[in-house]
Amino acid sequence: MTRNKVETSHAIVSSGSLADRLYTAVVVVVSIVAFIVVAYPLYFIVIASFSNSTMVNQGQVILWPKDINFYGYEQIFKDTRIWQGYLNTVIYTVLGTLLNLIVTLPCAYALAHKKFKARRIIMPLFVFTMYFGGGMIPTYLLIRDLHLLNTPWIMIVNGALSVFNLIITRTFFESSIPEELYEAAVLDGCSHFRYFISVVIPLSKAVISVISLYYMVGHWNDFFSALLYINSDELQPLQIILRNILLSNQAFAGGAGSGAGAGAGSYAQQFADQIKYAVIIVSTVPVLIIYPFLQKYFEKGVMIGAVKG
Amino acid sequence: MKPALLARKIQPAPGKGFLNGWAANYQLWLMVLPAVIYIAVFCYGPMYGIQLAFRDFDFSKGLTGGDWVGLKYFDQYFNSPMFWPTLRNTFVIAFFSIVLGFPMPILLALVVNSIRGHRRKRLLQTTVYMPYFISTVVLVALLQILLSPTTGLINDLLKTLDLIPADINLLGSPGAFVPVYVISAIWQSCGWNSIIFIAALSSVDTQQYDAARIDGANRWKIVWHVEIPAILPTIIILLIMNMGGVLSVGFEKTFLMQNSLNKSVSEVISTYVFNVGVKSNQFSFGSAVGLFNTLVNFLFLILANTFAKKKSNISLM
Amino acid sequence: MRVRGILTALLTGCIVIASLAGCSNTNRSETSDPGTNTATKKTKLTAIFVKHSLTKDVNEMKWLTDLEEKANVEIEWQQISADWDQKKSALFASGEIPDLLFNATKNSDFVQFNGLFEDLSPLIDKSGTNIQKMFSEHPELKALATQLDGKIYGTPKYKGIWPSSTASMFINKTWLDNLGLQVPTTWDELENVLIAFRDGDPNKNGDNTDEVPMDFNPMGWDFTPKLLLGSLGLPLSNGVTDGYFTEDAQVKDFYVDDRFKTLMQFLQKLYSENLINKEVVTQDYSKYQSLARGSGTTAKVGFTWGWETSDRVGNELKDQYVTMPQLKQHADSTEELYWSNDNYYQNYGDNAISLSAKSKNKDAAMRFIDAFYEPTVSMQVLFGGMNDTDKGIKDNGDGTYQVLPPADSSLDPGSWKWTSTFADNGPMYIADDLKSKLTLGTDMQSVLKEKSVYDDLLKKADPQTNVYPQVFMKYSMEDTNAMAMNQANINNITDQKWAQWMTTNVDIDSEWNEYVTSIETSGLAQNLEIRQKAYQEYLSTVK
Repeated sequence: MTRNKVETSHAIVSSGSLADRLYTAVVVVVSIVAFIVVAYPLYFIVIASFSNSTMVNQGQVILWPKDINFYGYEQIFKDTRIWQGYLNTVIYTVLGTLLNLIVTLPCAYALAHKKFKARRIIMPLFVFTMYFGGGMIPTYLLIRDLHLLNTPWIMIVNGALSVFNLIITRTFFESSIPEELYEAAVLDGCSHFRYFISVVIPLSKAVISVISLYYMVGHWNDFFSALLYINSDELQPLQIILRNILLSNQAFAGGAGSGAGAGAGSYAQQFADQIKYAVIIVSTVPVLIIYPFLQKYFEKGVMIGAVKG
Repeated sequence: MKPALLARKIQPAPGKGFLNGWAANYQLWLMVLPAVIYIAVFCYGPMYGIQLAFRDFDFSKGLTGGDWVGLKYFDQYFNSPMFWPTLRNTFVIAFFSIVLGFPMPILLALVVNSIRGHRRKRLLQTTVYMPYFISTVVLVALLQILLSPTTGLINDLLKTLDLIPADINLLGSPGAFVPVYVISAIWQSCGWNSIIFIAALSSVDTQQYDAARIDGANRWKIVWHVEIPAILPTIIILLIMNMGGVLSVGFEKTFLMQNSLNKSVSEVISTYVFNVGVKSNQFSFGSAVGLFNTLVNFLFLILANTFAKKKSNISLM
Repeated sequence: MRVRGILTALLTGCIVIASLAGCSNTNRSETSDPGTNTATKKTKLTAIFVKHSLTKDVNEMKWLTDLEEKANVEIEWQQISADWDQKKSALFASGEIPDLLFNATKNSDFVQFNGLFEDLSPLIDKSGTNIQKMFSEHPELKALATQLDGKIYGTPKYKGIWPSSTASMFINKTWLDNLGLQVPTTWDELENVLIAFRDGDPNKNGDNTDEVPMDFNPMGWDFTPKLLLGSLGLPLSNGVTDGYFTEDAQVKDFYVDDRFKTLMQFLQKLYSENLINKEVVTQDYSKYQSLARGSGTTAKVGFTWGWETSDRVGNELKDQYVTMPQLKQHADSTEELYWSNDNYYQNYGDNAISLSAKSKNKDAAMRFIDAFYEPTVSMQVLFGGMNDTDKGIKDNGDGTYQVLPPADSSLDPGSWKWTSTFADNGPMYIADDLKSKLTLGTDMQSVLKEKSVYDDLLKKADPQTNVYPQVFMKYSMEDTNAMAMNQANINNITDQKWAQWMTTNVDIDSEWNEYVTSIETSGLAQNLEIRQKAYQEYLSTVK
C-alpha cells in the first residue's frame, strides 16, 4: 500500500515539466560530484594501507597501490589482544546502546508532552549539562567513589544519556506524531505506557534507528573513557589497543635522537605510516557493515501514512 | 479503527483537570526518572569542579580546597596579548563552519531523498557517511599528502583548473587555513549529519506529495512547500544547538594542522590553553578559559533559542 | 614476501607463546600468593611504569624478575604506553597512586601534588648504598634530584655513554662527487653547492628537477638550521627549546639575538633561490623522513639534519651521506665555532623512580629502587638482561661486557633495545669505570663514529658558562606558570616570524627592531629573569 504510493510519487517526478527535468539533472550531477569527492580519498586510504608508505608520502601513490605489502595488517593482527578488544567493544556497544535507548526514548516521550509541566524545568537543567561540566578530575573521583573504576560497567553506563540525542528524539516525537493520536488513544482507555510501546515506538523506527546509530558509533569510538577509567588489559576496547599498536609503530616520529636520546635505527620507517591507514580500516569496517541494516528504516515512506492507510 | 482520523475530530481538551494532575502524570515521571537520575549523578554530581576556575589548585587541601582567587585566571586570559587573536580566530573558524557546514547536510539529504533506485541511493548514502569514521590524525595526514604544493593530487588539480594561484601552499598560507579546515570538516561530516535529515524526510506523509502534484506543483516547489516544512523543526533545533558551538573549535585538528606559516589564524582558544595551561599543569587557568568559552557558547544558545521560540514556536527548552 | 610471511608467522608464534607464558606466570603468582608470600616473606608492592610503546610486557623480562627476587619484593606492574599525561592528572588528583612510579613524574608534579610523594633522602641515607655511591661519584646527580625545598622526590638517571650532540649535518657525498665538488666549509660554499644541486642532476636519474638541495624541521625542533648559529659563535646546548641558551653565564634567547637575524637573512636568500624544500615549514615528520629516503638508491635530498644517517635516509642511501663539520660563515670569518653541546640532554635524566608517601613498605621499596642503581644492573636496564632468556648483554667473564646484536633478526638494534627492556626510560647509573668495559652495539658505535667530527667543538663549550643545563633547572610553581603564559605569547610571534621571513622577501633588517621589542614586551624579560635566577642557583651548587 505505502510502497505503491512511494512508487507513484516517484513516477510523477520522472516525467513532467522542464522544471522537473532540471531538478532531476541537478540531483544527478550533485550526486555524482558528491560521490567522487568523497569516494576518492576513501579509496586512497584503502590503497595507502597496503602500499609502501614512503611512496605514499612522496605523492607517488595516486590511483593504484605501489610496492604492495601487508605489513600494516600483519602488525595489527599479530597482536593477540586485538580479538579481545573487538569482543569488548562489541559488548560495550551493544549493552551501552540498549541502555541508551531505555533511558532516552521514554524520557523523550514524556518531555514531548506539552501537558507534562515539569518539562519546563527539566529541559533547561538537561541542556545546561551539554555545556557545563565539572571537569575531568571531579568526574574521575565520582566514578571511583561509585566503584566503577576499571570495571566494564563504566564503559556501558558512561554517557547513558546524550542530551543532544534526547532533544532530537523529542523533536521528532513532537513534530511527527500528532497529539491528537494520543487524545484518541486515551479515549480508548490507553495508558502512557501502552501508548508509548504500541503506538509511538512502531511509528518512530526512523528516529530510533538514527539515535541508535549515533549512540552505537559513540560507544564504538569511545576511547577517552577507557583511557581514564580502564587499567586492565583484558577490559580494554579495540580503540585503545589499536592506538597502542599505532603508537608503537610511530615510535620515533618525534625524531630519533630527541627526547631521552632514543637513538633508534630506521625502524620499519617506510611501513610505519601504513599502520595509520590500516587501523582506520580495521576499526571501521564493522560499523560500516551495520549501517545498511539501519538505513532501511529511515528511507522508507512508512510512518503516519501507514497507520492511516 | 483509524485512530488518526478519529483523533482529528476531537479537539485537544486543555482543561481536563485530572490529566494535568500528578495521578495521570506519574507514568511520565517514571519515564523521565532514569534520565533524571543519570544527569543528576553523572553531570551535576561533579559540577562542584567549576569552582576550580576561581581557586588556586592546592592538592594538600583537597581538590577544591585551594585559596579563593576570584577572577584571577580570567583576568590572566583577558589581559593576555593572545586574548583577542585567539577569540577572533576561534570565532572565525566556528562561524564559517556553521554558515557553510550547516546547510550542506540538508542539501545532501534532499538530494539523497530524490534519487530514484534503491541501490544508487544507498551507494551514495553509505559512501558519504564513511568519512566520519576517519580519525583526525589520518584526515590531516590525507590533507598533507593530497594538498602538498609539490606532489599533491588535489593541489595539482586545483592549479590546473586555475582555481588557486600557482605559487600557493594550501597547507601554509594563512588565507587558505580556514577554507581548508572548513571544507575538510564538511567533507568529513556532511554525510553523517545528513542522516538525521534523511530520517526526518522519511516521515513526510506520502499523501502530501500526491496532494501537491494534484495542485500542479513541480519538484522544486515540492521541496520548498512539502519537504522543507516537514524537516523544519529538526533544522531549527539543530541550528540552535549549532549556535551553541560558536566558540567551539576542536583542539586536535587545529593543533595538527597548525604550522609556523598559518599560526596567525590557527591559534585558537583550545590550542592556546594547551600551550599555557596543560603544558605547565595549570588546572585553574584551563578551567577558567574553558568556563569563559562555555559561557559565550551558552549565551549564543540562549539567544538563538529565544529567537526561535518567538519566530517559530520551536525551541530546545 | 614469502620469507617475511614465514618470519611473521614465527614471530606471531613466539609472541603467542610468550604471552601465554606471561599469562600463566601471572596466574600462578596470583593463585599461590598467600603461600609464597609467607614462605619467602616477599613484600608485595604495586608499581606503574610509563614505558615506550614498543616495550614488551615487563613481566617477561627475566632480569627484572631476578631483580625483584634479589630485592625480595613482588611487584604488581601496571604498564602505560600512551597518553600518560591525560591519565596522570586524574590519577594523582585522586590521591591513590601505586607504591612506585617509574618514569611517571615531573618536577612540577611534586609542587602541584604536594604531599603525594615521599622524600627519598632519608631512605637513601639509611639504605640506598648504590645511590649513595652514585651521588658521591657524580655529585651533580644529587643536585639534579634535589628540589627547591631540599627534598628528593625522584631518583635521577645517568648514562654517560651517549654522544654529546643530538643533531648532525649530513651532505650527500655521492652528489658532490658526481658534480666534482668538495664538502663545503663555509656558508658561501654551501650556497654554491646547493645551487649546483639545484641546477645539475647529481642523482643521475636524468631528471634535473627532482633534487631537493636542502631540507629540515621547523625551527624550534632538533634538526634545524638553528645549529648554524654555532657558525656565528652562538653556543647552543641541550636541545633547549624556545631559543634559550647561555653565553658567558648569561641566559639569552637567540630569537632576539642579532646572529639569528644574520641566519634568517641567509635562509631567506637560500629560500628565494629555490634551494630549500618548498614544504619545509608545512610538512609533517613522516613526509620529512619519507622524502629523504628517495626511491631505491636514488637520493632526493642533498643537505639535511638528523640523528644518524640510517635513521635519517634509510639503509639503502646511508652510504651516500657524510657528516659535515660546522661551517664558518665566510672564509675570513673569525667567530669561534660551536656545535650544540647536548651532553646533559643525552646523558642525564630526572625522576626515574618516585615513591608514594602512602606506601606501607617504604624500606622494601627503597631496597628495590636502590637495586636498579648497581651499575651492572643499570647496564641491563638500558640494553637488556645478561642471561640466556633476555639475550641483551654478554658477560665476557673477564669483567668486560658486550651488548649483543638483536636476538630477533628482523629488528634493528635500537628497536630491539626498546622492545626488550626498559631502555632509556628506566632508572640507571652507568658508572664511568664501566664505560671502557662495555662494548656497545653496532648502532651506538656508528652514531658515536658519525658524530665524532663534532668532538673538538663540543669540548670548547665551557660547562660553567656556555652550556645551559636545562635538566637541572628548578622553578617554583608561580614561576612555572608565569613562564608558560609568557612563552605561549612569545612563541606566537617567533613561530610565525621566522617562517614568514624565510618564505617571503620582506626586509628583515627593517622589521627587526619592532620584532625584538614585541617579544620583549610579551614577557621575555620576565622569563629570562626567572631562568637566570634558576641558573645562578644551579651554578652556586656546582661550584
